[in-house]
Amino acid sequence: MNRQARAGRNANVDTSVEVGILKLRGPVLAASGTFGYGTEVPLLEREALGAMVSKGIFLRPRAGTPPPRIAETPSGMLNAIGLQGPGVEALIRDYAPRWAEWDFPVFVNINGESADEYGELAARLDGVPGVAGFEINISCPNVEQGGLYFGNDPRAAAAVTEAVRKRTRLPVWVKLTPMVTDIGVIARAVEAAGADALCAINTFVGMSVDLNSYEPRLSFRTGGLSGPAIRPLAVHLAHQAARAVRIPVIGVGGIARAEDALEFLVAGCTAVQVGTATFVNPLAIAEVNDGIAAFLEAKGFSSLADLPRFLPRD
Amino acid sequence: MFLVDARITGKRLVARDMYVITMHAPQIAATVLPGQFVNIGWSPGPLLRRPFSVYRVDGERIEIVLKAVGSGTAQLLSMIQGDRVSCLGPLGHGFEIRAGTRTAVLVSGGLGVASMTLAARQAAALGIRVTWVHGARTKEDLCSESDGDDLIWATDDGSKGVKGTAVAAAPDADLVLACGPNRMLAAAAERWPDAQVAVETYMGCGTGVCLGCAVPLKRGGYDRACKEGPVYRAADIDWEALPSHLSYAVPVPA
Repeated sequence: MNRQARAGRNANVDTSVEVGILKLRGPVLAASGTFGYGTEVPLLEREALGAMVSKGIFLRPRAGTPPPRIAETPSGMLNAIGLQGPGVEALIRDYAPRWAEWDFPVFVNINGESADEYGELAARLDGVPGVAGFEINISCPNVEQGGLYFGNDPRAAAAVTEAVRKRTRLPVWVKLTPMVTDIGVIARAVEAAGADALCAINTFVGMSVDLNSYEPRLSFRTGGLSGPAIRPLAVHLAHQAARAVRIPVIGVGGIARAEDALEFLVAGCTAVQVGTATFVNPLAIAEVNDGIAAFLEAKGFSSLADLPRFLPRD
Repeated sequence: MFLVDARITGKRLVARDMYVITMHAPQIAATVLPGQFVNIGWSPGPLLRRPFSVYRVDGERIEIVLKAVGSGTAQLLSMIQGDRVSCLGPLGHGFEIRAGTRTAVLVSGGLGVASMTLAARQAAALGIRVTWVHGARTKEDLCSESDGDDLIWATDDGSKGVKGTAVAAAPDADLVLACGPNRMLAAAAERWPDAQVAVETYMGCGTGVCLGCAVPLKRGGYDRACKEGPVYRAADIDWEALPSHLSYAVPVPA
């Protein structure tokens, strides 16, 4: 993997972004659950990152769901991993010290079965060297308790956000689910509850059926759909979210190339996350990052801030 | 781990519907160990890469074995010399073959031959006497290529060699390596708890981040076929909880 990739390395173009009070060296972030804890991926890929969001974590270790956990679909994949993870103490012991040495911020994707559990996680991680902020996951479709439940009810979403907000002074992002009638309602609710930014969107709930066994292809029956298949849906929902609030929106959903990321940015997002594409192309983040700078340069912009955007405010 | 733009250099038929594809991937050829695999993608192709054991190494080339089990593998089989694929590897934790071992038995079912040739060659290089037991449904499904000092054939219908499973046909040895459908490996685990077996799972990234290739363990929890595996101590796997789902799976009586 001998290729140069460093966020903002294109000397002619400034691609740094500000997500609230946080200044990031580049607009491309690693999406939760697609980059592990950042330690598995090649070094060059990390050099291209504006920030990273860790695999989702709970207070306690979780085994995850039985196999099969993934199923490929047209231009996409379904997953039901079930937030397998070592629990917060192992994360603090094994991963945070590594993050503290890195030159980009690492956000922890936090999960709970109650608003209190989210708050407890934030309190436990607040002040741990290496932890730069939180991405509240109220949109995981693959857990029996919590997850999506909090994400499609504005009061529950706000309660979780508030529980975290009260326990930390670090930046708090909220990852929204697309499985709602009006994403703007949830977006406004979590903004009012103190969120610093939104991530839009998490996976769509889907199902695929095995015609040999006459059963769903995933043991969890349903899974979260990701990949290019959801990109136009994601661009629309991220745009809707951006219209609804004043805080920054980080676009996520099916980004594999720079052009995909630019769609989200033009549609009103401040930054983007790349997820499933990393599974396919270990250099995806670096290529998206380089491609954005190359696009801006080719179009004659000296800064990402100059990129035209359509964001009619209501 | 290398990401190689690999040129396809050849294809040959080794059993009914079963092909060996050769590709130029020097960095992988130079570093791959027995039981390791590559994750292959191509454009235009399916979204996810497809994992294949490295079957043989020939100079700067590596070989993989495949059957057309879906549209992805069918596309790969329709490629011709000079076409290119993106080859990520070597990946995973392979077989551990130690000097000082006297005898080894390699048990393969169907496409399970894919991870056996490198193992046979390494064992032979270490002075280990190798018996390779090939199992398949019928003689037409048996791979025509093999390595090792002794060969035993086993077919479900008795059309070649012993009638019955490869596991039943195999002698005991100091070291047992097996690869094939998970049902076959479960039978191997009953007979040889310490056997090293290469499991089949669906796979996403192949590099340890997606957690899609979960392997259920006897001690509880899961780990990753692509990272800790695909080779495991047979008795460490919770076979009941590991589906034998791949459509090429050879039926093996329980």
